Amino acid sequence: MKFLSSRRLVTGALALICAGSLSVLPAYAATGTRQFIETFGTKLVAIVNSPISLPEKKTRVLPLIQQDVDIDAIGRYCLGRYWKLATPEQQKQYLELFHEVLVNAITDKLGDYRGVSFTIGSISKSGDDDAVEATLVRPQQPPASMQWIVGYASGGPKVVDVIGEGASLRLTQRQDYSSYIARNGGSVDALLSALKRQIAHHSDAAAN
Amino acid sequence: MNSGRNGARLRPRGQTHTGQTREGSSAQRRFSSRSSVLAATLVALTGCSSIKAPVPKDPDALAEYQQANDAYEPLNRKVYNLTMTFDKWALRPLAKAYVWSVPRPVRNSLGNMITTMNEPSVFFNDVGAGKPRRAGDSFVRWCINMSVGIGGLIDVAKMAGYPHHDNDAGLTLANWGIPSGPYLFLPMGPSSFRDGIGYGIDQGLSPWNYVPRGYGLISFNWAYNMMGVVHGRSTHLDELDALQRDALDPYATIRSAYQQQRKAQAEAIKNDNRATVPDWY
Repeated sequence: MKFLSSRRLVTGALALICAGSLSVLPAYAATGTRQFIETFGTKLVAIVNSPISLPEKKTRVLPLIQQDVDIDAIGRYCLGRYWKLATPEQQKQYLELFHEVLVNAITDKLGDYRGVSFTIGSISKSGDDDAVEATLVRPQQPPASMQWIVGYASGGPKVVDVIGEGASLRLTQRQDYSSYIARNGGSVDALLSALKRQIAHHSDAAAN
Repeated sequence: MNSGRNGARLRPRGQTHTGQTREGSSAQRRFSSRSSVLAATLVALTGCSSIKAPVPKDPDALAEYQQANDAYEPLNRKVYNLTMTFDKWALRPLAKAYVWSVPRPVRNSLGNMITTMNEPSVFFNDVGAGKPRRAGDSFVRWCINMSVGIGGLIDVAKMAGYPHHDNDAGLTLANWGIPSGPYLFLPMGPSSFRDGIGYGIDQGLSPWNYVPRGYGLISFNWAYNMMGVVHGRSTHLDELDALQRDALDPYATIRSAYQQQRKAQAEAIKNDNRATVPDWY
């Protein structure tokens, strides 16, 4: 009898813990996500608004992006079905190039803004990820609302996508890449050399 | 309709996160009934099979093909290339000259006027979509801006708390549950079967197309439409330049962004269930 009751106690406790963690987990994840975006956004805005030169802004924003944006995951997503078809060597080279392209795309935007601020709205689930509503306020321009998609696949919270005016950045990029590959005979190498050209172009433009 | 000249509704990927609510987008690219005739011809043309893309056999490729929803890709690409050539040599330089020569406050006022003059079409579509609050907003906007706002040149309604919202018949049809049908690139910009039909409906909903002849209003209507196109293009100069520079396949990027944005717009209208009574009531 004693045995039975203790077993019942244990199962009961286990069930309670399970139920408890189930109900607590999403709430915990949501607050974690909010905190993550708040910290990330505050750091980003601080760099954007600081009165330092543009090259210095770029060097300061680099570690922030590498730490808080899941560039590898975005890269894999953007290659779509060709990720499976690419050789390990191509995958490695692609990710290296993609890192550079994405960082360039982000840092190019830095010079455009000054005196910005942002507010964070509601958080909802978007598949496995969390979607955070955010509004960017810029001087003399209408406020821009967007969604930050935060994923936990890499362990900690990381930005995996940004949705502006209903368009997902990574999905649009994926369809750009896959269409380019398809039109070049399904060759991943064609994409790699296009990315190389793009990077070379960018550094030429930066040098001039 | 949706389509602005060269995808005025589009935000290039690099800029999506800075996206802002574009005001008066549908108004800025009305191009009178001539282009709807062109659109209808194109839709008729698409009946031929030679302009259809082959359906892939590979399951992954098939999934991609279905997601792109672009059965008439070969034809669409031709129209896209033609449009972009026209844009490169005519419309873009014109829009640049317009920005260079007309000061920003004047351009803003003209933009307000174009937006206000399209308000009747937005109103009818709001009614069609069964959204009384939105319909009320566009009705009030029209009344305030056409009178106090001096024919729409000043957006008084916005200051009074009635900001512009966009709507067109393509979105109304979407709210009625009509699927978009295959993607189309029309001379006015990215579209679909549904949105192309919606464009035609919008032409019918615009009172400016019922102006009687012989009052000088016809030429006003033409000037208004032309200016709408140039003005609409001028508000997207940097974005489209960036898109053409950064995208590996600008056609596919525009297609993807357009389809996603239309879906989000239709969704936003569907979820707008604000009460019709004011807050203090």
